[in-house]
Amino acid sequence: MVEPATSPAVKRNREPRSTRNFRHLIPMVVVAVAFVSIWELIFRLQIWKPILFPSPGAVARVLLDLWNGTVLVRAIGVTLSRLAVGFLISLVLGALLAFLMVHFVTFGKGIQPYVLGLQTFPSIGWVPLSLLWFGFSEAALLFVTIIGSLFAVSVSFADALRTVPPVYLQAARNMGTDGMDLILRVTVPAALPHLISAAKVGWSFAWRSLIGAEVIFATVGLGFLLGRGGDVGNIAQVMGVMIVILVIGILVDRWVFSRTQEWASRRRGLIPNR
Amino acid sequence: MKGATLKLVMLGKRFKGKTGQMNALRDVNLEIRAGEFITIVGPSGCGKSTLLNLVAGLEEPTTGWVEMDGRQIRGPGADRIVVFQDAALFPWLDVKGNVEFGLRVSGVRRKKRRERVSEYLKMVQLERFSRARVHELSGGMKQRVALARALVLRPRVLLMDEPFAALDVQTREEMQSVVQDLWLRSGTTTLFVTHDVREAAVLGDRIVVLSGRPGTVSTVLDNRARRPRTLEDLEVVEAIRRSNDILKQEVQWSNQLRAQL
Repeated sequence: MVEPATSPAVKRNREPRSTRNFRHLIPMVVVAVAFVSIWELIFRLQIWKPILFPSPGAVARVLLDLWNGTVLVRAIGVTLSRLAVGFLISLVLGALLAFLMVHFVTFGKGIQPYVLGLQTFPSIGWVPLSLLWFGFSEAALLFVTIIGSLFAVSVSFADALRTVPPVYLQAARNMGTDGMDLILRVTVPAALPHLISAAKVGWSFAWRSLIGAEVIFATVGLGFLLGRGGDVGNIAQVMGVMIVILVIGILVDRWVFSRTQEWASRRRGLIPNR
Repeated sequence: MKGATLKLVMLGKRFKGKTGQMNALRDVNLEIRAGEFITIVGPSGCGKSTLLNLVAGLEEPTTGWVEMDGRQIRGPGADRIVVFQDAALFPWLDVKGNVEFGLRVSGVRRKKRRERVSEYLKMVQLERFSRARVHELSGGMKQRVALARALVLRPRVLLMDEPFAALDVQTREEMQSVVQDLWLRSGTTTLFVTHDVREAAVLGDRIVVLSGRPGTVSTVLDNRARRPRTLEDLEVVEAIRRSNDILKQEVQWSNQLRAQL
């Protein structure tokens, strides 16, 4: 054998996970601190009335009150569970539609333009229809969440499935794989990094749709708290809830999606081991 | 398991191209003995890969048929395994997972799977790399894994589609001797497509020279050089010279033909 004696295969130098994460976060923390400082500075210049432009402290106090009264915790819980159910259904239906679009080429060609169009359709635009069909109910919120993300999920799932190199399918068929086995053992794992990106796109659509719908017609949840703050003119609550929504978005993106994406890519050498 | 006999009868394949129907292969007739090592050379675009795909059952012939041990081939099967040019290993599995893949799908039990996988990894001298990921392997190692993945299924026919074309000269010669050894041990009927006449002469019991456009059998050369062979053996050198002469004519022909079209 002329292969090198020391294998590149087994070397995996990694820093301990904790320090790696910590260093990663420094730029983010710097930006947050800078943002709050500038905010505080503008507040102290007293350009606008505090009722229109509250201090960071005031927003923090409102958030703390909401947290202590368990209102915020409950709102987060309700909204996230709605999201989980809606997003999951959307993933399942989207995967099905994507598979049909890729497998039946003519069907895909026929339907893809509409799906693309519906993807750009504003999710708030579904609210009146949803209310007429389902009334002021959980079902109406779910409907908006699902329909607001379904098309984005389908399009990006379909794109992900189309990235699978035909030679993998050929090799697998050659070794006796067929039908559902072929999809589960080859197509899905081959497309996995792209499928995760696709799910990430889908989640952002679902999240936006749900919060939007909650602002308009929910009676509990983060979107409701946001809308309610606006109704009663409590600007600190409005800003506070907006920040919570933003933070949840960042956390899900980083902890759920970016991490799984990194894992899937690293496993197959698409990004080097650090 | 012993290799199978193959019979290609009036085999032809047409593709729909931009300029209408294109003949990739026409009237290919070939009888291959059990356990024989056949190398196939020809000018580029002569349908060499198509020929393998037809035997593998990955494509349907337009005319004619392929028989294995007297029975007509319909569709793909794990008794005829292809080794592709770029190895086509699955990057989401490690080396072991790749070699295990075919056994898994055909429902071989875990214990038996493990034994077979380590046996064949040993055979291609990669047992130390069973946990390595595909992207961590060199080109030669990838093809060894592809060989193990194919042979572990104990196919009756092994189909190799320019498997070493992308390797450097040194690795290629090394892989040629690996293939020769494995074939001597397994007795699998082997069809080996290459554009390298030297490779064809080192490996083949018979060298099939295809002519281009449409691809059909031009000449079949017997190559009785003793095994194991190397490129330096006199008989191999002679076989290289003979096949080169024929191939040169074929390439000239096909170039003239292309110029007329």
